[in-house]
Amino acid sequence: MNSADRPRRRPTNSRRAAREGRVPVAETRPPVPSAKGAVEGKRYGTRLRDSTLTFTFDGVRYAARAGDTAAAALLAAGVSLFGRSVKARRPRGVFTAGPEEPCALLTVGQSPLVIPNVPATTLVLHAGMVLRSQNRWPSLRFDFASLLQVGGSLFTAGFYYKTFFWPTWRVFEPIIRHLAGLGEAPGACALSPPAVEHLSCDVLVVGSGPAGVTAALAAARAGAIVVVCEREPVCGGELEFEDSIVDGMPGYQWLARSLLELRTLGARLLCNTTVVAEAGDTVIAHTEPDGLPGDNTVYRIRAGRVLSAVGALEQPIAFIGNDLPGVMLLGAAERYAALYGVRPRGPVVLFGNHHRLYAAALRLRGLGANIVAIVDTRVDGELLKPEPTAAVALAQVAAAEGRDAAVALLRACGIACYQGHTLHAAHGWRGIRQVRVAPVDAPHAAFTIDCQSLLVSGGWVPQRGLPNASITGAAAGQVDLASLMTPAYDAGLLAAAALGFTVSAHTAPEGTGDPLPVVVPYLRSPAAAAEEKRQFIDLQNDVTVADLRVAIAEGFSHIEHVKRYTTLGIGTEQGRTSNTLGAGILAELRGLEPQQAQTSRARPPLAPMTLNSIAGQRTGAAFRVSRHTPLHDWHAAHGGVLDPMGLWLRPRYYRANGRDAGSAAVVEAARVRATGGIADCSTLGKIEIVGPDAAAFLDEIFLTRASALKVGRARYMVQLREDGLVLDDGLLLRVDEQRFLATTSSSHGLEVLSHLEHHLASAPGATRATTLPTDSRGCGLSITDVTDSWAVIAVAGPSSRPTLQGLLPTVALDRLSHMAFIDTEYAGHTVRVLRAGFSGELAFELYCPPVLAAVLWQALLEAGLAPYGIDALDILRVEKGYLTTAEINGQVTPLDLGMQAMVGQGNACIGQTLLARPAFHEEHRPCLVGLQAADGRAAFLAGAQIALSAGGTRSLGYVTSSVFSPTLDRWVGLALVARNHTSLGTTLWARDPLRGGDTAVCVVSPVHVDPEGLRMKGLP
Amino acid sequence: MTQLACPFCGPRPLEEFLFRKTMPNAGDSAYARTYLRVDHGTHSEEQWQHSGGCRVWLRVVRNPSTGAVASMTVEGSAYELR
Repeated sequence: MNSADRPRRRPTNSRRAAREGRVPVAETRPPVPSAKGAVEGKRYGTRLRDSTLTFTFDGVRYAARAGDTAAAALLAAGVSLFGRSVKARRPRGVFTAGPEEPCALLTVGQSPLVIPNVPATTLVLHAGMVLRSQNRWPSLRFDFASLLQVGGSLFTAGFYYKTFFWPTWRVFEPIIRHLAGLGEAPGACALSPPAVEHLSCDVLVVGSGPAGVTAALAAARAGAIVVVCEREPVCGGELEFEDSIVDGMPGYQWLARSLLELRTLGARLLCNTTVVAEAGDTVIAHTEPDGLPGDNTVYRIRAGRVLSAVGALEQPIAFIGNDLPGVMLLGAAERYAALYGVRPRGPVVLFGNHHRLYAAALRLRGLGANIVAIVDTRVDGELLKPEPTAAVALAQVAAAEGRDAAVALLRACGIACYQGHTLHAAHGWRGIRQVRVAPVDAPHAAFTIDCQSLLVSGGWVPQRGLPNASITGAAAGQVDLASLMTPAYDAGLLAAAALGFTVSAHTAPEGTGDPLPVVVPYLRSPAAAAEEKRQFIDLQNDVTVADLRVAIAEGFSHIEHVKRYTTLGIGTEQGRTSNTLGAGILAELRGLEPQQAQTSRARPPLAPMTLNSIAGQRTGAAFRVSRHTPLHDWHAAHGGVLDPMGLWLRPRYYRANGRDAGSAAVVEAARVRATGGIADCSTLGKIEIVGPDAAAFLDEIFLTRASALKVGRARYMVQLREDGLVLDDGLLLRVDEQRFLATTSSSHGLEVLSHLEHHLASAPGATRATTLPTDSRGCGLSITDVTDSWAVIAVAGPSSRPTLQGLLPTVALDRLSHMAFIDTEYAGHTVRVLRAGFSGELAFELYCPPVLAAVLWQALLEAGLAPYGIDALDILRVEKGYLTTAEINGQVTPLDLGMQAMVGQGNACIGQTLLARPAFHEEHRPCLVGLQAADGRAAFLAGAQIALSAGGTRSLGYVTSSVFSPTLDRWVGLALVARNHTSLGTTLWARDPLRGGDTAVCVVSPVHVDPEGLRMKGLP
Repeated sequence: MTQLACPFCGPRPLEEFLFRKTMPNAGDSAYARTYLRVDHGTHSEEQWQHSGGCRVWLRVVRNPSTGAVASMTVEGSAYELR
């Protein structure tokens, strides 16, 4: 006898098997000769492949077949306990077979790279996968917190507002925090960004069940480009396994043929793809292969027409203990049997309110399930309708010999039929052991049935999809195959015809399957008031019938209020198995008719998405564009610490000058004042305004008149928004009579450009008389963004003029007055030399083509000037009281910034009118002031609030910029402070409780250094 | 991701466009023009710029509740483009 033939003791317990080093195998599956099989003509195990694999669940190794979902493999291995509920810590098993699963949520992977809350029902296993159950401590079989629940009423509706108040909430907070939350949050992200694909099609079909495939066929045959999104790994929906005949062939054969035809017609079939949202006229779908975030693709689909064929969802019935492991939806059990060859365990009882129970019982029995009883709530319901396939014999018996004969036949198969009975309760500890059944009209005549599985079906409700799509198939209420195919085909044709396609002569396929179920509404079995807290509605959030009663008693009666108060249907599955049931029971408890039940609103995303999927490719460096100056590579190669400022990457300081930004910047700034330095200012926005109307146009834009500017001169200009607040400042250069170059602050370039273009478009020729050739808009003017056409190098400091003169010997720099510029040549390129600066020193700005920037920069370095960064630039400009976007913050007028002289020129520019608003002249308007630390080197930081006293709580304004000034050897800053507190010499307090505490500051002039401007003139 | 049909560039995603304002009523004061927003209901007259494209300023008449564009003209120009 070889070892393979040796009889083995059948493992009674998978854990024992694991301890003994053996891998538990699927006990409940029928013998499988090959991957896919058929018993009595039934297909089963259609998703399974030949190979096997192993995985671990809570540390125990299990075997699975390739293609298995975690739920299927664990059910096959005899596992029924999958996790515990989040609030009551009740043991929970698998309830469904799809993404609507409320209970069996797993954590995949090992800490910190975990992915929590993955439904076991959609997770397709891979070899070596590590799975863990959730919401249990220390172990799944024994959970400490479940002991708290022995009374069963600790976490009633609204418990946050009612309990844990003695002696104080803080005592309980750490414990509650430990218990709260669904699953373990990942400590790190191991997911790569998803691919993002934009699709454009004529007809998008959501769902590829019989209705979806039929509609897609119709549209594709008419010539439309079709995209089909299917959330399952394979197309077909029920056709994949259900007994059905379409166009004279088995449903799955028709399906294969139709999918082939769709592909031939150019349709795109996206499996594993869930539609999650609609944004404008785009549909967002995402693919999670094998039900696990990872190799995701996000689709943005722009479709001419969207057809929703998302099917219907089976509904549960509430009874006492309906959350026990072993209770499952009937359709889910059928799917496990058909797709994965997993039979429901042990003796099985079916409970429902329609006649499909009987066909399902026979199908499951055919696969080897031990069905012992059918409990049907209908007193005298129709037993069976003639059916095309499996149930046909029984149906014939029923038709020919009456109901009693059919029942007798079922009984002969060992299936007891309890019509007009209801199921009151399920009993068991970690799994179902027994059910209590009684006639509907005689609740006291109850008896029990022993069972290990209870399959429930309370009818179907259409699944909710995209709000603006047209709906077809079961989602539109056509639950049986015979009646849905023609309307679905018509829906496809209609969509194509609406887009202008000629409808072809094909006819709709004809199908027959399970007949239309006649569902008599039945939401819950009767229960004593004390037992209602074990009638679960929302299994994920432990919402019971008792909770709904509490909510109603406390005045929450609208479904949206009840949803928020009780957490009904707010879980990861968005209440797909609980919304309708909860709404129906709520109506019942309020004494309303079932038709008056309200439904809560579905909100996107329709299925859970990881933040990774939502972010898409826009993460890390791709989060936003970054702009580089022509000198970027030099900065990077020479110790420049590059930081994003707006979109630009700019060198804050150079590492050679100090360990950190603070010390390096001080060194760099002091060197500029002592000798000189160069800085890369290419990020300045530059806009060229050219044309005969340019001067008149700019007069309307700027606070002071541009037309008064002489050719070859520059001027500091400010522009206002329409409401009188300052938009931006910068220099305006008049290159010739009809050509101006305006500079803007680095971050405002595009905004200013848009502002100019807007004004040109809105008021063409308002004050301009065009006499010369004009553009199509009737204006002799063009506005061009030339930011990238000019590199700018600032040369500042006492040694700037002699050094520059050495490089540009042909220009008489000593005759170039302040704010004058001249064009010259260097290395064959034009260089515009402007005598101006942002440092208060004798300084020049060199405007040159980007290609020349590195050459010129190198020459300046070799001539002995050292580079300085943005932080040093900031020190130099705060010392001089020059403004940046910290001061021009979109809330200040030119009057607030001390530009009374410029306003006083009375130029009729944009925003001038509204400057007269009384509100802009109130005494507490912010006013730009300088601040100096009263006490030597005490620091105060930008953002600190200004108060009258050290503990003052009334803010008078705030510090906009602050630097340590090497020139003055103390901290200086600029601030916007209420005008009535800004007389020079006033002592105020810069309050910064979160960072530095309080610092006494003196109000001084904004110009801290060289108020006479002698240095700028080159005078010592 | 709704699309707007730029008269020069064709249908482009909304992200390429910059909304500036809804147009004030004729005869409004400078204060009202600047500070008061007019709700035109289903007939909203607005200024948009194709800032991520040809940079044209557009006068768009639009129904904000459906997004349907009734007319689109180039701002400052006498002729209407379709």
